[in-house]
Amino acid sequence: MNNIVGSVSRRTLLKTGAALGGGIIAAGMPLSQTIWAAEGKVLKARAFRELLTLDPGFYGGVADVDVMNCIYSKLTHFKPGTEWGWDLEAAEKIEPVDPTHIRFRLKKGIKFTGGYGELTAKDVKFSFERIIKHKSPVATEWGPLDHVELEDDYTGVIVFKTPFAPAWLISLPYGVGHIVSEDAVMKATGDGSSFGVKPPAFSGPYVIAEWKANEHLLLTRNPDWSGPKPGFDEIRILPIGDEKAAERAYQAGDIDFTRISLDSLASLKTNPPADTTVEEHASLSYTWLGMNLDHPKLKDINVRKAVQWAINVPQILDAAYAGQATVATGLIAPGLVGHRDKALVPPEGDLAKAKEFLEKAGVSDLTLTLDCLNDSTKSTIAQVIQAQLSQIGITVDVKVQDSGSFWTIGSEADGDRWKDMQLIIIEYTMLPDPYYATSSFVSEQVGVWNWQRFSSKHFDELNEKALALDDPSERAKLYREMQDLMEESGAYRFLTHGGTPVMYRTTQIQAATRPDGVPLYLEFKPV
Amino acid sequence: MWLYFLKRMALAIAIIAIAVALMFLMIRAVPGDPAAILLGPRSTPEMRALLHEQMGLDKPLVVQIITFFGGLLHGNLGFDVFSQRPVADIVLEQLPFTIELILVSILWAVVVAVPLGCYSAVRRNSFVDQVAGVLAVATIAIPSFVMAVYALLIFAVTLRWLPAIGAGNGFWDGLIHLILPGFAIGVGWVGYISRLVRASMLEILGENHIRMARSFGISEWRIVARYALPLAILPTVTILGVGIAWLLSSAVFIEVVFARPGIGALIVNAVNTRNYPIVMGVVLVTTLLIVTATTLSDLINAFLDPRTREKL
Repeated sequence: MNNIVGSVSRRTLLKTGAALGGGIIAAGMPLSQTIWAAEGKVLKARAFRELLTLDPGFYGGVADVDVMNCIYSKLTHFKPGTEWGWDLEAAEKIEPVDPTHIRFRLKKGIKFTGGYGELTAKDVKFSFERIIKHKSPVATEWGPLDHVELEDDYTGVIVFKTPFAPAWLISLPYGVGHIVSEDAVMKATGDGSSFGVKPPAFSGPYVIAEWKANEHLLLTRNPDWSGPKPGFDEIRILPIGDEKAAERAYQAGDIDFTRISLDSLASLKTNPPADTTVEEHASLSYTWLGMNLDHPKLKDINVRKAVQWAINVPQILDAAYAGQATVATGLIAPGLVGHRDKALVPPEGDLAKAKEFLEKAGVSDLTLTLDCLNDSTKSTIAQVIQAQLSQIGITVDVKVQDSGSFWTIGSEADGDRWKDMQLIIIEYTMLPDPYYATSSFVSEQVGVWNWQRFSSKHFDELNEKALALDDPSERAKLYREMQDLMEESGAYRFLTHGGTPVMYRTTQIQAATRPDGVPLYLEFKPV
Repeated sequence: MWLYFLKRMALAIAIIAIAVALMFLMIRAVPGDPAAILLGPRSTPEMRALLHEQMGLDKPLVVQIITFFGGLLHGNLGFDVFSQRPVADIVLEQLPFTIELILVSILWAVVVAVPLGCYSAVRRNSFVDQVAGVLAVATIAIPSFVMAVYALLIFAVTLRWLPAIGAGNGFWDGLIHLILPGFAIGVGWVGYISRLVRASMLEILGENHIRMARSFGISEWRIVARYALPLAILPTVTILGVGIAWLLSSAVFIEVVFARPGIGALIVNAVNTRNYPIVMGVVLVTTLLIVTATTLSDLINAFLDPRTREKL
């Protein structure tokens, strides 16, 4: 060995090093054999994050569901447009039998890939029941699902323990409503648990031709698909986490559809890239300032009212959302059943009234803590609230927290921090049924996700009653009343639903989205 | 040399073990529940308990760390909870993208900076030397992500000469996709290395053996290339070894700006979501990378300059 070392001169070592460096670079290149199809119509879109899973029973978020919509069938799907609604997909017919039973009849001839045969009611039963059986993180989206009864190969009845009206807009047309092959999943997993990112069989118009994590996902037409053909031969989805990076990628022509940031919305509206349509959509999520009803400093409703009235929401939105988000009137976004036209406290608040409430409470030199997440939007909201409350003599100590720490503040199962929590800025995500929002604020959620510890027997009764109603206008009345109750408690100051604006290239695509801007790729048309 | 090599290897293993153990303890010391973040605000306590069990978080810390190192010895870094994929697979499929980015960045920086540094030393205080000096300070001062954004806006968005995002497909496409991110990371190193080479070249050029070579009538460029540069390059080799850590942190920003795959983008997401298995996998690999680079640079130095072998 010494001889070998001895025979290598310094010059040889330097030369070898240079050659090795070049070789390593060449070897490290992504030598993919994939050839992007040069022909055919191709949709190039952006996902705001990488896939977490492709198992619909255990999906991780909307980015996963956007892909699942293309590769699996479900009984119904969302209609594109500005109003929430659904159309039939794998179901030939679906109807409520009574408040706890929904009967469906499948279309014939929908095939699973890989030789797993036709999609039958048995697969529907398996797909829905495994979510409950395996305690999936998204099991709540099936609410009180009990089981699925089979009537014949194509007909079945979904049975709930108690009435569950949200099934029509939460369960059936979205993530947990996708149908997987029982035979394929059992073969892949052994027990029907999550199969992660490797679907054992497809049943939608597309199949996954290639997935390279953090690079791209390539969907191509499913050769076994017998239903209506979507417009594009290929869909390429590129995960781009950063909104600004996505906007630059769009401008450079790398993608033709993307969500855009609210910061950029004003400038893109006035000066859009060539051949581009910019669309504004209100998000479903809701952000609010919450107050801990059980904290001694906030026990007096007059203190809470003073905080509510001191907050000027448009000022906050100007600072934190570049003035591009609209004021929330409650938990429920515009377009959804139960949306309120206006809140009880006007958006601008009223400082004089706030001071009156504080005098009534007989409080002076009040100092409150305000917890928020460490992202720039929530930190800005906190700073503006700090300034606004100082106008009525309340000193606010802002406590910016990492997400791991933040999301357990109000949880009784995670310690005693809920006892010290005073003010908090929270944003919850939402699905298109008011139940999804209100169910977090019922009494049994106190100390779980109801961190304001708001507890109203009347609210709980209304929430139960609304689940059993089919008539949207009747349901809406109840949900509006529930939001009134929340606001009257003084524990909530609703801020905004944010926004999910999108832009797309009109020379390439005619986009189709849900009312909240989420893309429905199957409905996209080539131009 | 062999004794030096063995000592250096033992030190490298100790550094890796300590770094990984520290990281293991640090991420568990952060307040909050990773299951709450992974499962989101809708999760129930039962779901979180199940995830704790799946991730092994319900076990005592000592058991967790023994399990982790035990798995490590068998090449098992655990499984990602969501995708059900082995962490080693996830990390290793992203690693080549980061390595190629770092290597391309440093390679083009060295190719430009070393001749520039030599020229500046030989033509000291010339116009080129002065301009190179000013540009060097300017490029060192500009953060790589700022350079990345402007390079992207000019060459990808406005001129559309180069792609804006991604890593490309195949060798040539991959190479084209490396131009802008490689430029953004490497440009600061051009300034740094050229100044470093210039300074050490000036020192070497004043030494006795160089004067002796000149007295023999050997041409100036031959003296520079054959006698001075191999010695003047030593500090650069050392700096490049240590610089891998700095390059990795630059790569995190650059991978986000260019939406490139890589371990930088992977760890940002994993830290945000407290995906412990992925965080540990990435930390292990980056520590290995840094320790390997510094060890290699030490070994090369020891080979080129036998005096350093005594210093461990």
